[in-house]
Amino acid sequence: MLAASINEGMGAAPQALEEERAAHLETLYRLTDRLYRAPDLEAILSAALDSITEGLGCERCSILLFDEAGVMRFVAWRGLSDAYRAQLEGHTPWEPGAHDPPPIFVPDIDVADEADEVKTIIRGEGIRSLAFIPLTAQGRVIGKFMSYRPAPHHYSKGAQALAVTIARQLGFSIERAQAERARRAALRDLQESEERFRLMAEHAPVMIWMCDAGGRCLHLNQMLRRFWKVEDDGISSFDWRSSLHPEDADGVMAQMGDALARRSRVSVTARYRSASGEFRILETVAHPRFGNDGTFMGLTGVNIDITQRRKAEDQRELLLAELNHRVKNTLAVVQGLAHQTFRRTDENARHAFEGRLLALATAHDLLTRSHWESTSLQQLAKDTLQLGGGMGQRIEAQGPPVSLSPRAALSIALAFHELLTNALKYGALSNDTGRVNLAWTLNRRQGKLQLLWREEGGPPVRKSGHRGFGSFLLERTLASDLQGRVDVDYEPTGVTCLIEMPMPETGGDACPG
Amino acid sequence: MPWLKGKRVLVVEDEALIAVMVEDMLVEMGSEVVGPAATVEAALALALAEALDAAVLDVNVRGERIDPVAEALAARGVPMLFATGYGEVKLASGEAATVIDKPYTQEKLARGLAAAMGVAHTGR
Repeated sequence: MLAASINEGMGAAPQALEEERAAHLETLYRLTDRLYRAPDLEAILSAALDSITEGLGCERCSILLFDEAGVMRFVAWRGLSDAYRAQLEGHTPWEPGAHDPPPIFVPDIDVADEADEVKTIIRGEGIRSLAFIPLTAQGRVIGKFMSYRPAPHHYSKGAQALAVTIARQLGFSIERAQAERARRAALRDLQESEERFRLMAEHAPVMIWMCDAGGRCLHLNQMLRRFWKVEDDGISSFDWRSSLHPEDADGVMAQMGDALARRSRVSVTARYRSASGEFRILETVAHPRFGNDGTFMGLTGVNIDITQRRKAEDQRELLLAELNHRVKNTLAVVQGLAHQTFRRTDENARHAFEGRLLALATAHDLLTRSHWESTSLQQLAKDTLQLGGGMGQRIEAQGPPVSLSPRAALSIALAFHELLTNALKYGALSNDTGRVNLAWTLNRRQGKLQLLWREEGGPPVRKSGHRGFGSFLLERTLASDLQGRVDVDYEPTGVTCLIEMPMPETGGDACPG
Repeated sequence: MPWLKGKRVLVVEDEALIAVMVEDMLVEMGSEVVGPAATVEAALALALAEALDAAVLDVNVRGERIDPVAEALAARGVPMLFATGYGEVKLASGEAATVIDKPYTQEKLARGLAAAMGVAHTGR
């Protein structure tokens, strides 16, 4: 470490002091003026080097700054060899960020407290006396400037004060220049990021738009400009409303007006005439946009052309309707066959068969309405048991929401039909007072759906060994179809039927096997 | 079915087995069947020429819509019952038609005809 050594300007005449002060003021004035005009860091450093050589009367000097890694590096100099700079780069009496340290003046390196190695380098450059003046920004060391002399030298009080003043000016200017550089870099980053997003929005394969708080068009991306064939400079005068399908215009205007008034999100689907003259269905989602101060700026929206999707959906609907029609026509043909087959031979068999066929048709209808995806058990019970109408008024059905796969729905529809038919003929619905209670529960722990059909108030149930097709259908076919268990009990007080099956997964299998 | 006794009902149905069954059902209920017609052309001829009290119409007859027959019958004020697997049926006039779903029972047919003809149906 170099030792600090401060020496007074001994025995100087008052007039000489006066002249020195005037010269220092002149130096500072010029420095201030140049720093004020300096366009960049380079100009700042150059002005400072001039002031140091002129004000301190030395020929050689340098300015060093801590780099990002905290290493003190030469950034400007006068009269120093490359070798000298390379050898002493990083050499500093202060840590980066040290708090406002005093300057260090070394009158003679030969008698200074410093490593011999360093002394040798300094002497080798022809230097005997050095001054280390810290540069600070907001009180923290950011670097230093150095003044070098070939012979031992004592800095006068005035010279020391000048050095510190130059350092303050320089530190402040560097700080300002660095802040300005950071600001420009941030601005450039922001512009780049803006440009990136602009390009993304411009070339995105969806339609993107912006309107102001009054609903006037501010921006249309390329896809939307092409859709309406709007020129780049024609956006402000473009009236998108005129492209709305007359039947959709009122609804869209009401919803957009509402979103602008309430500054809220809006989602609307409508037909718009494209530049080619055809109407396309656009699905729009728009979000409100707010300024930094919270002012409502308008809406930013995205339109997606769903014409193709709609067509495919309609096509699918049509196909499903056609398929359903054909299936039901075929069921009617089968009904006709049965009609002819059983004609005047077995009326009962014909009616039983017809009933089952119709139960199947009803379930089929229900599945078509739900696009063969899944069916609600409630709806199935309502349709097949005709709850709420006629005899159905005497059936009470309750249970949590359950979605059935098409296969399960068909099987359960048939089961309901058998149970209902039996109840009407022999059971609780065969007199005027009996009732049926249908309840289902989901046992999530066991992963099971349980349905319980319980009749009460009907005529006493005759225990007969006769097992009709109804019970057969229930206990054998149904159990197998549902991969579950069906128990029918002919208790004297009323028939009970317990159906237990694996809990249906919503969605289910797509078609009956 | 006293209110159907002697009523002349036009039947249009392209599936022979279904046509025979509908005919049986109607005859059993006491009405007189006109047809059954299995094409729109044949149906139209009957719709224009015959004395009719009601009609049971298939909506899609061998790929052709029943509309011309329906229009002719509507012009004459003949009550119509549409039997279909399609669900809803819209008349040319825009009114919703009286519809029964295929397949249907005799009971449903009776109820549908009663609704179309504006008769109170009280069952058998």
